[in-house]
Amino acid sequence: MTTISSSYDPVPELAHGNNYLTHTRGVLSWLFTLDHKRIGVMYLVGILGSFFLGGVFAVLVRTELLFQGEQVLTDDQYNQMFTLHGAVMTFLVIIPGIPAALGNFVLPIMLGAKDVAFPRLNLASFYLWTLGAIFFLAVLASGGLDTGWTFYTPYSIETNTAVIGATAGAFILGFSSILTGMNFIVSIHQLRPPGMTWFKMPLFLWALYATAIIQVLATPVLAITLLLLIAERTFQVGIFDPKLGGDPVLYQHFFWFYSHPAVYIMILPAMGVISELVSVFSRKHIFGYRFIAYSSIAIALFGFLVWGHHMFTSGQSNMMNMIFSALTFSVSIPSAIKVFNWLATMYKGSISLATPMCYALIFIFLFGIGGLTGLFLTTLATDIQLHDTYFVVAHFHYVMMGGTMIAFFGALHYWWPKMTGRMYSEMWGRLAAFLVFVGFNTTFFPQFVAGSQGMPRRYADYKEMYAGYHFVSSIGSYIMAVAFVIMACYLLHSLFRGRKAPANPWGANTLEWHCSSPPPHQNFDEQPAVGDCYDYSGLEYDTATDSYVPKSRTAVTT
Amino acid sequence: MIHNSPVSCKKYSPEPVASALPPDGPVYPSRAGTMGMWIFLTSLAILFAASMVGYLVVRSRFEQWPPEGMPPLPAGLWASTIVIMLSSLSIQIAYHCVRADKQGGLIATMLITTLLGVVFLFTQGLNWAWLIAINEKVNSGLYMSTFYLLTALHALHVIGGLIYLGYVTARSFTGTYHSAFHPGVKYAVMYWHFLGVVWLVMFVMIFLI
Repeated sequence: MTTISSSYDPVPELAHGNNYLTHTRGVLSWLFTLDHKRIGVMYLVGILGSFFLGGVFAVLVRTELLFQGEQVLTDDQYNQMFTLHGAVMTFLVIIPGIPAALGNFVLPIMLGAKDVAFPRLNLASFYLWTLGAIFFLAVLASGGLDTGWTFYTPYSIETNTAVIGATAGAFILGFSSILTGMNFIVSIHQLRPPGMTWFKMPLFLWALYATAIIQVLATPVLAITLLLLIAERTFQVGIFDPKLGGDPVLYQHFFWFYSHPAVYIMILPAMGVISELVSVFSRKHIFGYRFIAYSSIAIALFGFLVWGHHMFTSGQSNMMNMIFSALTFSVSIPSAIKVFNWLATMYKGSISLATPMCYALIFIFLFGIGGLTGLFLTTLATDIQLHDTYFVVAHFHYVMMGGTMIAFFGALHYWWPKMTGRMYSEMWGRLAAFLVFVGFNTTFFPQFVAGSQGMPRRYADYKEMYAGYHFVSSIGSYIMAVAFVIMACYLLHSLFRGRKAPANPWGANTLEWHCSSPPPHQNFDEQPAVGDCYDYSGLEYDTATDSYVPKSRTAVTT
Repeated sequence: MIHNSPVSCKKYSPEPVASALPPDGPVYPSRAGTMGMWIFLTSLAILFAASMVGYLVVRSRFEQWPPEGMPPLPAGLWASTIVIMLSSLSIQIAYHCVRADKQGGLIATMLITTLLGVVFLFTQGLNWAWLIAINEKVNSGLYMSTFYLLTALHALHVIGGLIYLGYVTARSFTGTYHSAFHPGVKYAVMYWHFLGVVWLVMFVMIFLI
């Protein structure tokens, strides 16, 4: 235990002194910072801003669908709203959300390192993200986009909305994503401290590693796809145009060869977060560490082999359909391995329902539904009925929003004290989590039913028989909006009035909780000792500071 | 900015951990830098591989390639190939020079490589001009458009590479690089060889078969 306490002792003295927020001052010290923590915070601000924008689009879409007929948007505006909602949420929020913002902040600290392997590259990828976001805003200002976030040909070649601007934006964001992935892979390979073998790494790092592999290997395919689309629009080259001998389905293959693995770019970091949260708040060693670690890699690899399941109804051959269907079923195995391991971790644990844990539980529930409804879609016979209906919309919202975004908010609440040095109100935190849960299910559960009855996606209006589902769904989206406003309020409040955060409020044992909250500029003064990051036996609750401290330390002070 | 004492420049430190704390790590080119470059090249390789697969898919839909009535691609592609192979050779010599601390050889071969890169772009431009002269443009059917797009994709990466080569060449004039410190040269060598290999594959696929 002495090893832990030695790396732990100087913490309280640092807490009110020099930290990464006060290390240097002024706007320029932020804009040109190479500190991964500040870059992570800047990403976080940008991503939350984009989330707000995408959320406004979502509320407009749901308001239009509140009743039959035209409410607030014309049909063309409706097409633009759901397109921008999808594009902003996918490219600007969900893909970079956990890795670029929160991963950037904690990855080097979890490794006991001073920074990522390439700090300048890290800043460059943040500015590429910003540039991509500016392109999206420019698209919004210059007449919008109405192709859906997938930019499917041939419509994306014919429409006169700002396809080139949006694809250029997505291209730049892809570049940012590749550079972040590259940085993380090298960091994890080269910066692990002595004693931290691959199988002693926190599972969040395994998840980020698997994610980074997909980012590096899949994103270039998106790049070439978008370049071809731009060339198609600019020069009429005909690669995707059947009139000139091209093939529009080729576009779909290209697009989903990236975008299906991208689904795992979105969900893998979320799974990594949940692996941390479940263990910490059950006060129990993670169950099946190696299985969780290997399943992350398995998901990353399987993810490359299943893109064809987006094209079951696009005229693929039956043989291809059957192969893709079978491969898609097999992805559910590593996903289920993770869920069972989380449940086994909680079993007989001492579960604390702090806000991050509420989100972890919500994740497991919603991701379970999202995953299981995926099985209906990968079954060829049912997919023909369900393809392009609200069933699909509900399915991917359960995974993307109910999975990734919920885990993002769990992670945000978990690391908030570390990032800001302040505690938020637990009461309000749990209330918002509860409202998100209720609002989410109210919004999306009826969509499963409407979809299975044939309600097609992307329509601005609908028949009488779907009116009830749409009404309930829209009310649900308002509940979620209220929940997010509450969240914004108490988080902002905590910045100014929140209780000062102790070094380790949750009793976690990964290295970021071994430095003060907020961490000092250099993270650690000396190389921290590495133990088992899921072993909580050396920590005990200290009522005086309302936090966890090493056992040997309290023994000395009392 | 980056200091390097001859004492600390072991090629590979047995413990990458503490020493790899950026940005003042003592070993350049560091393991991290080389690894990052490999990952970057892997990513680019996927970009080119995807474009070649797309090309093959398009081509497989035609019964005859080149399609009936279309001219063969310009024989000037041979010239481009020879030029880029020569440039790969010269940059490899540059790499040997910097590791042997031969400053004059490094400067000369870096200049030659950069020049050959420009010549490569020029011959590629001539190939385009030859096609445009016989009125075969980027929108003259898939046979032409795939040729223009693939060569343009490669040429854009060559332009990017030339900018970096120019930077490294300029820095070698000031004696920045030597046997213990030559990350810029090493990254340039890796990238330039990569472009050569990509061009060879592309040349075989679009011209020879």
